[in-house]
Amino acid sequence: MKIFIIVFLIIPLFASLISFIAKNKRFAEYLTLFSSFLNLLGAFLILYLILNFKTIFLFNGAIAIDKFSAYIILLTAIVYFLSSMYGISYMRLALEDEKMTDGEFFRYYLFFNLFALTMFIAPMINNMAVYLIDIELTTIASSFLVISEVTEKSIEAAWKYILIVSAGISLALLGTILFYLSGNIPGSAHAVSSLDWTYMRLNAGYLNENILRFAFVLIVIGLGTKAAIAPMHTWAPDAYSEAPSPVSAMLSASLENVAIYGIIRYFGITGAGIGFGYPETILIIAGIFSIFIGIMGIIYQRGTKRLLAYSSIEHMGIITVGFGLGGVFGTFGALLQMLGHTLAKSSMFFGAGNFLHKFKTKDIRKIKGVFYLMPVTAFLFSLGSASLIGIPPSVLFISEFSIILQSLKDGYYWITVLLTVFLAAAFISLLSKTGSMVFGKPDDNFNCEKGDFPPFSYVPMLLPLAASVILGFYIPAGLHDLLSGIIDIIR
Amino acid sequence: MLGFVMPLYVYIIEDLLVALILLSSFVMLSSRWISFYIHAYGFQSFLIFILTLVLGIESQDINLYIVAFLTLFVRTVIVPYILLRMIKKFNIKEEVKLIIKIPLSIISGLLLTVFAYFLIYRLISPFSPKIVINASSIALSLIFIGFFMIISRFTTITHILGLLIIENGIFLLSVVVVPTLPIIVELVVLFDILVTVAAMLILSMFMKLQTGSFSTTMLNRLVG
Repeated sequence: MKIFIIVFLIIPLFASLISFIAKNKRFAEYLTLFSSFLNLLGAFLILYLILNFKTIFLFNGAIAIDKFSAYIILLTAIVYFLSSMYGISYMRLALEDEKMTDGEFFRYYLFFNLFALTMFIAPMINNMAVYLIDIELTTIASSFLVISEVTEKSIEAAWKYILIVSAGISLALLGTILFYLSGNIPGSAHAVSSLDWTYMRLNAGYLNENILRFAFVLIVIGLGTKAAIAPMHTWAPDAYSEAPSPVSAMLSASLENVAIYGIIRYFGITGAGIGFGYPETILIIAGIFSIFIGIMGIIYQRGTKRLLAYSSIEHMGIITVGFGLGGVFGTFGALLQMLGHTLAKSSMFFGAGNFLHKFKTKDIRKIKGVFYLMPVTAFLFSLGSASLIGIPPSVLFISEFSIILQSLKDGYYWITVLLTVFLAAAFISLLSKTGSMVFGKPDDNFNCEKGDFPPFSYVPMLLPLAASVILGFYIPAGLHDLLSGIIDIIR
Repeated sequence: MLGFVMPLYVYIIEDLLVALILLSSFVMLSSRWISFYIHAYGFQSFLIFILTLVLGIESQDINLYIVAFLTLFVRTVIVPYILLRMIKKFNIKEEVKLIIKIPLSIISGLLLTVFAYFLIYRLISPFSPKIVINASSIALSLIFIGFFMIISRFTTITHILGLLIIENGIFLLSVVVVPTLPIIVELVVLFDILVTVAAMLILSMFMKLQTGSFSTTMLNRLVG
């Protein structure tokens, strides 16, 4: 078991170093694809082991993998696989028509795999403070990915990203120290002298109430910065729009899950310590505000990838509200929403990347008639946006429906009303934007070749959308068991 | 240190040191020159090192020794050295552009310190002696002053220093309030500081090459 986890983590490390050292473009591309494929298989294997046996503890309890961690690892592995497949197409086109140099190309592959590695480590780690430092390392690796193409705009985005998120993580670190203090007050009967999730969770009853309240707010602010929950989201649209599309997909679809994972771990400890009422209220308020900001951003948006970034903020809000409402339906919905958002959003970012290469612009008003120019991408992009706003055959419909169901069940009718109104607003605004891009007629003086890019540009869009639609019809028993197991872990 | 009974001279030294630490952060608030900031940061880290060492000697905790000497090594020597070399290499003599003028900054720093004192007092006063409340409220005020420096000064170097002051505050708080914190936490935080500073310096070098300056005032293209 030890060997397996070590190999699982060494694969992306090797891929990054070798592709940087070998300096062979084709080799770097296919090595990354191969390593991400192995990691995807490994993630499924971890999931299989967890479902059949108990929680895995390794290295004296430093690594603890339960169902929740395995789920997050799986989501990360899916996006890593899809992004490295799409990266082949994206980076070739970037080398051809934009001014990307060879050095930038190899630096991209170095940090791309390292970024995946840090995201795989984060959910495995049992110690809270080490988890936060690992989150900080994801920030550093991805900020170098944001400046894959060094321009003034991308440097600005990377600087904002690293500064805001580092400041946020230091607040989360302060919160963690207060968590530790709450269990180590002199004179208390039972000292909780460990920062492990598992240990804290078992002994949550001994934690000091007042300090725990303050600490949880700091954690939501700190990790919420990383998860792009409003009002700490300001770095997200910049970083997502300036990064290359595969990286935007990784940032949006898997990094935010990793950060939400941390918040929910602290949420579980706080809830077990002082009751779930207080942390739930905080998560619901943060989530509702985040949905509101996300939709306002979507309505007034002119850039394709910024549009998707604001949509991410909205979805993070929905997930937070789902966890905040709690209960079986709320938590189930939130977990399923993570999966659905991961699938739909990564596909949308890939589509936006194809538009960028075809039209050489990110301005929504200048992109018209994609159906005429790139039929396959346009079809998949419209399918993706339909799936993203939760039109029924998509899995996001089920998750959003069950979150709304939970709010009705608990009697929070104002949340039901707000959620319905916001989701309808997102529906209209997102569809009108994507519709204006996909349909219509391209300008007459706009001359470029008709036709799609090679298959690597649309196959990664097809796979997650197919999965999303299939899951919308039928949720396998294994997934259902897994999610129910996670609900037991959280609450 | 919370939970330990110390002889009187340690309390006097601790009070003196935290007062000097607070003073050094106000020195940073009242200055316009980047090299001055870096020296003040090194001095502050050195004071934190002495405080940690004294507490380590008195409580005979080997972990605190290790953390103290690593602090000396990383925060007092390496990080200021890298920053000063950076300044020499790019020959920066420019003044820091302030959005909030110096007198107002000092008053804001004072208000933040008082706020930190109230917050800490409400939080930990039921179970801790006065000396711990003093020291930890100064630690919290360092965190606030770090944030204030980030939002009120427009160069990349001062942004980095703001983050470093926040880290210093967190470290001071953890030494004073939770001395039993596992040593692995302190080690990874120090590692994190090194990596973050290196990454931010590389980014600011890119910025210098692209825009010709370390000033962040021109970073206003991405809005909406």
